[in-house]
Amino acid sequence: MRLARGNRVALLSVALVVALSACASVPKPVDLATVDSVERPSPVGVEVNPAPPSTSAAPAPDCDPTASLRPPDPMPAPGAMPSGSTMREIQEAGKLVAGVDQNTYLFGFRDPTTNQLEGFDIDRARDIAEAIFGDRTKIQFKVMTSAGRIPALVNEEVDVVVRTFTATCQRWEEVNFSATYFMAGQRLLVERGSEVTTLDDLGGEKVCAAEASTSIKTIAEHEAEPVPVQVENWSDCLVMLQQGQVAAVSTDNVILAGMAAQDPNLTMVGPTFTPEPYGIGVPKGNEDMVGFVNGVLEQTIASGEWARSYDRWLGGIDGPRPAPPTPTYRD
Amino acid sequence: MVTVSPPEPGTDQPRKGVLGMPATAVRHVRRSAASTPGRLFVIGVALVLLSLLTGLAGAIGLQQKQSTVDNLITHREPVAAASQQIYRSLSDADATAASAFLAGGTMPEELRDRYDLDIAQAGANLTKAAADVAGVPEAEAQVDQLAQQLPVYTGLVETARAYNRQGFPAGAAYLREASGLMRAKLLPAAQELYSIDFRRLADAQAQARAFPWVTAALVLALLGALVATQLYLTRRTNRLLNIGLVVATGSVVLALAWGSASLLIASNDVADGHDSGTRQVELAVQARIVALKMRANETLTLVARGDGADYEAEWQDLTAELAGDGDNLLARAQELAADQETRDVLETARATVDDWLGVHQKVRELDDGGAYQQAVDLAIGDSPEGAAATFAELDGKLLEAINNGRTRFVTETSAAGNALTGLVPGVAVLAVVAAVGVTMGVRERLREYR
Repeated sequence: MRLARGNRVALLSVALVVALSACASVPKPVDLATVDSVERPSPVGVEVNPAPPSTSAAPAPDCDPTASLRPPDPMPAPGAMPSGSTMREIQEAGKLVAGVDQNTYLFGFRDPTTNQLEGFDIDRARDIAEAIFGDRTKIQFKVMTSAGRIPALVNEEVDVVVRTFTATCQRWEEVNFSATYFMAGQRLLVERGSEVTTLDDLGGEKVCAAEASTSIKTIAEHEAEPVPVQVENWSDCLVMLQQGQVAAVSTDNVILAGMAAQDPNLTMVGPTFTPEPYGIGVPKGNEDMVGFVNGVLEQTIASGEWARSYDRWLGGIDGPRPAPPTPTYRD
Repeated sequence: MVTVSPPEPGTDQPRKGVLGMPATAVRHVRRSAASTPGRLFVIGVALVLLSLLTGLAGAIGLQQKQSTVDNLITHREPVAAASQQIYRSLSDADATAASAFLAGGTMPEELRDRYDLDIAQAGANLTKAAADVAGVPEAEAQVDQLAQQLPVYTGLVETARAYNRQGFPAGAAYLREASGLMRAKLLPAAQELYSIDFRRLADAQAQARAFPWVTAALVLALLGALVATQLYLTRRTNRLLNIGLVVATGSVVLALAWGSASLLIASNDVADGHDSGTRQVELAVQARIVALKMRANETLTLVARGDGADYEAEWQDLTAELAGDGDNLLARAQELAADQETRDVLETARATVDDWLGVHQKVRELDDGGAYQQAVDLAIGDSPEGAAATFAELDGKLLEAINNGRTRFVTETSAAGNALTGLVPGVAVLAVVAAVGVTMGVRERLREYR
């Protein structure tokens, strides 16, 4: 349609007036609710880049953290602990108090269908109860976080701690360890398809581990400077990885294997880059108990109980079953 | 815009602009007021205007009062009740999720139903509370928080359920995260919202009781003017009575007496509704919240399985608020309760708290002594002596006390509304009667001057 010239001029001037008046105040759409970002839920007690624990004393003197105390020979029979011994006190109390975990799948976890604690560590604690009482059920579990282990032992709230507890020279200063009953090592857990293979690839990225674990220390001290994210329980790391709040979880291979077993989209990558010898923690002063626990470990390794327990929980998780660790003693 | 045309040149008389008019009127009035009839006319007009103005102001003021009182019943109190229900439902959902987790296996049906109902109730009440927060930014912030985080919470709980069904401990981790979210964000927001809404209710109650100073001043001024006019007329005309003005004075006195009596009664009723209704409800609600927190702590201590010292410590702290010596919440609610029935209900509640504390102690002894499974059974099992049943009874009693208090509030506040019935049209009619009386009375006197 063609407009006459006069009309066109008129139209143009109307448009101009409209445009000018619009310049004065451009009407804006009204937003009743503006939400620009979402704060994701996070596990209780999570801390990004936590302050490193104050190194109270001088670094521990060099030692062999795997070397423990020799078991008594012969071992006392169940129900007949020598009088005056720590084991006798436990026998008279009627139950062994064991510090364990309920969140680490395969090692110490609560089976949600039965409400029972199960796992490789739980089996080790029950072995000790059986050796003292001849009864695997005379045991009271006290669940604790990684950070709760040493205080529980120092305050003698528990008789033993069987909870993926790495023996280190630093920790030997405060508690006793049994001989190594499992040899783990730190690795990385990432989403399947991630290109990360080592901590070197994770500079500036968030990497999760439990508070007061050896793993969080390794992450914090790594030269690539990944950002350590500290949680209370290992399973919180799994949650954060699934929710995309951390790039990776780094801790002992068997703990990671437990997470990967719960979610097939996760995979362990890279080499094992630290040795983590697991020992059973016993309060300082209860040296007789340390020897006794070592005796129990030797017995269960000899009887095949250790291997059966391994096959039940860890069979096929991370290659074929290794030989049980050979105990080393200080004398 | 003021457009006063300038005086046109050439005209003999400059035309008066609009602005000149009031000045002329004032001059007129002043001139007429110099003579007695003129003065009488001015007084009459002024009295009529004052009567009508007072009537209008009184009617509007009373109408507002009436709607403030009605609004208490239809709006303010229900919103406060809705926001306390949000807290209650959320807190119960948290405790129920923890109980279901402890029960092991698939979630028992009654716990599942209870959780679902809690979430549905929280959502429904949240929409009611949300409809009311416009213009109250701090309440809006709480509603925002609740509306944004509630779906996140339920998502986490469902993830936890899925993992629980597969037998993986990741479920416990998701449940812990959900409970942490509930305690860190949802419950504090719900508690804040509920205290804001209770504060708004109390403010509205104070407003309903406020004395209408402006109207009262106008009425007294009108009454004074009427009396003064009559004294003036008596002096000028030597006649003792002027029927019209007497009628006008009578109707003003009647309006004053009626209005004062009604407002006094209404104000008393609102005050009763506040003290024996709202205040008592508020205390019972607080007691219920404390009980819910304690229940959640009780179950979470068992979920933590030896690592729950913080929960138990919180339980101990909360105990003092519910069952402390003398000045605890239940004792204070009992003091405010107006009827024997509510006092009895609260008495039973106090006894139930003692029972619960006993059961809880047994639960702790069992758990600390190594009998974990028995402790769990006592805490969440369906035995009538168990902690679950005792808590349910306490919760029921507190709900009963809350409902009684709410009924009390509605009864008293409706009585206040009833006391004001008919007052608005009544005052309007009386004002018109006064105006008519003034007109008649003054006209009669004016006629004598012709």
